[in-house]
Amino acid sequence: MSTASPDAVRASLRRLHAAGDALRKRPAREVLDVLGALLERLRDPTDPARRRIETELPAAAGFSPEIVREGLARGLASWTGAALRALVDVELGDAEAFHGAPTTAAILAGAIPMPALLEVVAALCVRSPVLAKPSAHDPVTAPAVAGALAELDPALGQCVALADFRHDDEACMDALCQADCVVVTGSDTAVSSLAARVLPPRRLVAHGHRISLAALGPAALEEASLAEAARGLALDTALWDQLGCCSPVAVYVAGPTAAAGRAAHALADALADAEARWPRGTASPEAEAAAAHERALAEMRGAELLADPGARWSVVVEPDAQPRPAPLHRFLRIHPVTDAAALIEGIRPLGAKLAGVALAGFAADTLRLEAALRGAGATRTCAPGSLQAPPLAWHRDGLPVLRRLLPGA
Amino acid sequence: MTGDRERRALDRRLIAWAQEARAGDGAADDVRFDALARDLFAFQYARCVPYRRLCQRRGVAPASLGSWREIPAVPTGAFKEMALRSFPCERTHHTFRTSGTAAGARGELHLDTLAVYEASLLPSFERHLLPDLAPDARMTFLVLGPNAQQAPDSSLAHMFDRVVHARGAAGSAFEPDPEAAARGLADAGEPLCLCGTAFAFVHLLDQLATRGTRLALPAGSRVMETGGFKGRSREVTRDALYAGIAERLGVPPERVVNQYGMTELASQFYDSVLLHPDEPRRKLSPPWARVRCVARDGGADVPDGELGILQILDLANTGSVLAVQTADLGRRLADGFEVLGRESGAEARGCSLAADEMLAGDAA
Repeated sequence: MSTASPDAVRASLRRLHAAGDALRKRPAREVLDVLGALLERLRDPTDPARRRIETELPAAAGFSPEIVREGLARGLASWTGAALRALVDVELGDAEAFHGAPTTAAILAGAIPMPALLEVVAALCVRSPVLAKPSAHDPVTAPAVAGALAELDPALGQCVALADFRHDDEACMDALCQADCVVVTGSDTAVSSLAARVLPPRRLVAHGHRISLAALGPAALEEASLAEAARGLALDTALWDQLGCCSPVAVYVAGPTAAAGRAAHALADALADAEARWPRGTASPEAEAAAAHERALAEMRGAELLADPGARWSVVVEPDAQPRPAPLHRFLRIHPVTDAAALIEGIRPLGAKLAGVALAGFAADTLRLEAALRGAGATRTCAPGSLQAPPLAWHRDGLPVLRRLLPGA
Repeated sequence: MTGDRERRALDRRLIAWAQEARAGDGAADDVRFDALARDLFAFQYARCVPYRRLCQRRGVAPASLGSWREIPAVPTGAFKEMALRSFPCERTHHTFRTSGTAAGARGELHLDTLAVYEASLLPSFERHLLPDLAPDARMTFLVLGPNAQQAPDSSLAHMFDRVVHARGAAGSAFEPDPEAAARGLADAGEPLCLCGTAFAFVHLLDQLATRGTRLALPAGSRVMETGGFKGRSREVTRDALYAGIAERLGVPPERVVNQYGMTELASQFYDSVLLHPDEPRRKLSPPWARVRCVARDGGADVPDGELGILQILDLANTGSVLAVQTADLGRRLADGFEVLGRESGAEARGCSLAADEMLAGDAA
């Protein structure tokens, strides 16, 4: 429900601008300590703000409570105060020498809380007050983070404000885009629309929608290793119901064709277990229709289809490496490839849209493959089971976490 | 050659039904539908390999078919990936193609004859767009799009071509240029049947708005619009489109008929508003087609009024496959159904690429 008016958005920006004057006079290390303490608070499952997200997000976002609990626990595990200080050291060096924009607007997207938290913290790290527009699917995280921050440091709390309006409220969006720096995640269409509003000297930092993938090499296809890799990939797929850019949508299996079938069965077993532990949340009728369509299409092609009787997860063994649409909501495609070189060739069409790739079983070829994947467009490689826990310092879309927010960057 | 005879017999049965419907007879007949559906299913099962594969995966065969409701439906996406013919490839006489999308591939409906397609399209169009005209009367058509010669692979252009040929008065025209169409409409002296895609109407309304023109088309005029906005640079809700048509053309919403059709189907479905002006708007099927709303696993029908995935059994699809599962959502309403479009510009729940975004870069 829209609660902000264009005038209210403009007034918030004015207040933040004034708060920013005081913020820029504070020592960067002092601000950083508060933000580090904020992360530590949120990492604690007993913290009221963390509990609020765990309690309220499932109903608002359509995730099961188990998914939200597990997703937060894994996502925040490495987001420590120390990790934040290390990030500042690596990206800024002397943090006192850097200031972000006088005001930053963060247009938060989707139902996954981690990016919302990061956008608020990152802007404050460069001492830029932030006006956050919560996503319609997550009205919980931004207020919870802002509230926790205000408790820790009321003055810093004054540097975060919320602008709650529908994403298609053009007048409010125009007002929000008067911020000096606008950060947005969205489809190409949404980003293009904002680019037309945020004209220099104002700065637009855009993150597009992305997908992640997985690749299993020969050593991961042996029985014991395969079960372990499948468990990890099922977790990566189940968390946030495969809706995030860190969610794998396809698994490339390097080896004999039969290996893809074995991997599919292992993944199906693991997804069934994952469903029992972390039940899938709701899916829109459109999403259900798209998945049903893709399942039927797989049957027409004669592809092997493994699916839960209630269609809560699906695994399709494709005949080749050709990318196909990803209906999400726990729908995995398995692509056979002969070797690592064929894998790189197979994912090349997706390069510009790639986020992470989970890798296992490539033994001595791993480093070379990681380099090739990065060359093909991936911004992160990791082991199965870790895709949904990117480090704070991950350069999403290849952009540095803090420096992307600095004027002139 | 037995197959040829069998096929010709199936075609004749459908054409006869369509002719009866055109003559005002041939109402929905469940027994007749079931019998023709079974025979057509058996024919296609035997001749269309990808379709047989799907049926076998679902454990459905002609000999064990309990009811036409058990006939497996082919997803519309399959028409992009494989040739769904129930006749030898070399007999392909005509291929209709879906419009291009960002994802590149176009669906194809291969036909070895246009006879069934043409026989089935007229009764539905006449019943829903021209219910007030005597059987031999003609009216002036303006089609906001190319004719069949200009767009030979467009089933919509072909349909309009046949309709105009059969029922169009002298002066009927095809006009893809919105500026020329706007000029032509300003001179309209007799009731018009104005036809086109929804997006063509958006362009026409833009043109009229640019010129500051508000027309009042002659009483008795009607509009037929079809298609959505997927892949277009701009989306307009149906309510907004109809309001624009009323404002700029003077044709009220109750005289605007939406056609639900797709290249993959020989038959079309029309809004009931002209045929039953005092009843709620819904889409009605020709007697030889049935629309189901099924649950997300593609199986059981959902209760009337509840949202489901639209599956269509179209017995005029004699040369391809008779049962098609769309990607559209809808609900059954008494004797008809309603199509529910995706909420325009709905906010994404995640930062992963949506299915149709994922392959967009491959379009070139």
